[in-house]
Amino acid sequence: MSARSPTHQTRSHRSGPVPPSLRSNLLVLAALLVLLGLSAGSALIPMGVFNEVANLGIAAMKALLVLVFFMRLKTDSPLLRLVAAAGFAWLALLVALSLADLLSRQNLLPPW
Amino acid sequence: MSVTVRHLREQFDDAVQQREASTLGMWAFLTTEILFFGVLFAGYAFCRVMFPEAFAAASRHTDMLLGTLETAALLTSSCAAALAVREVQLGGRRAATWLLLATAALGSAFLVMHGFEYVAEYHEGLIPGLRYTQHGPHAASMQLFFCLYYFITGFHGLHVSIGVGLLLAMAWRTHRGAFDQDYHTPLELTALYWHLVDIVWIFVYPLIYLIGRAL
Repeated sequence: MSARSPTHQTRSHRSGPVPPSLRSNLLVLAALLVLLGLSAGSALIPMGVFNEVANLGIAAMKALLVLVFFMRLKTDSPLLRLVAAAGFAWLALLVALSLADLLSRQNLLPPW
Repeated sequence: MSVTVRHLREQFDDAVQQREASTLGMWAFLTTEILFFGVLFAGYAFCRVMFPEAFAAASRHTDMLLGTLETAALLTSSCAAALAVREVQLGGRRAATWLLLATAALGSAFLVMHGFEYVAEYHEGLIPGLRYTQHGPHAASMQLFFCLYYFITGFHGLHVSIGVGLLLAMAWRTHRGAFDQDYHTPLELTALYWHLVDIVWIFVYPLIYLIGRAL
């Protein structure tokens, strides 16, 4: 037990990934809050369709930061990255195919 | 060694394998959660394409300031949860307990702020089926936005409430010394759940609060 005091930390954990540094976690939080500010600020500027692009782009960046650093997909097993990617891929399919149906359908008049 | 063996179930070779099985199981659950909320988001996308003006008009009725503060609270709580796991991994039990309590407090603050929003919306008459007093050209299709809004934020709030309960339980167990550098899987999985709830809100925020703000 004595060899495991924080001062003798070897940075290799037997059952899991190496814990991140305090600095990196706080930097991620700062980045998330800056992105939140950008998101709120950009929403007030009229940019047409680019308002939506900015909103969703920033949200995707924030989600990615949380996934990679807070949920530790960066350092954890590649299998988890695969499962997480699969979850979002099915979601993308769900939204894309629903919208494809809606956006590509024409009102066909009956022939009589 | 004895610490590791104490928590090792017989079907696993070692602690690494045991932890991998747990995190994989949690991620499998989290993907079902992604699709659970995904259905609501897909419904939102569908309705929004059908009625873009009504959605913009309805979004302007939501409270952007409270929404932004709620987002900040959840983002900060996520960082606190990540730091709590880190602390336990480095052997800091006391700090981890406080970080978990802070996470739960921020989650509760989120719920209180959202409660104020619901009350304000009730008084404004924005709840379809319960109290809906809107008039004008978009009033009918705006109900679709508010239905989706209550389903999405309602289910999200339920997840936050469950998360706060789990975080308090984890804070208690951490305080009692149930976790150490070798074994802290329940804490890790609770943090994963909390981060996913945060990610859901990261997408709720622009889709509910930020459309139609620029005029």
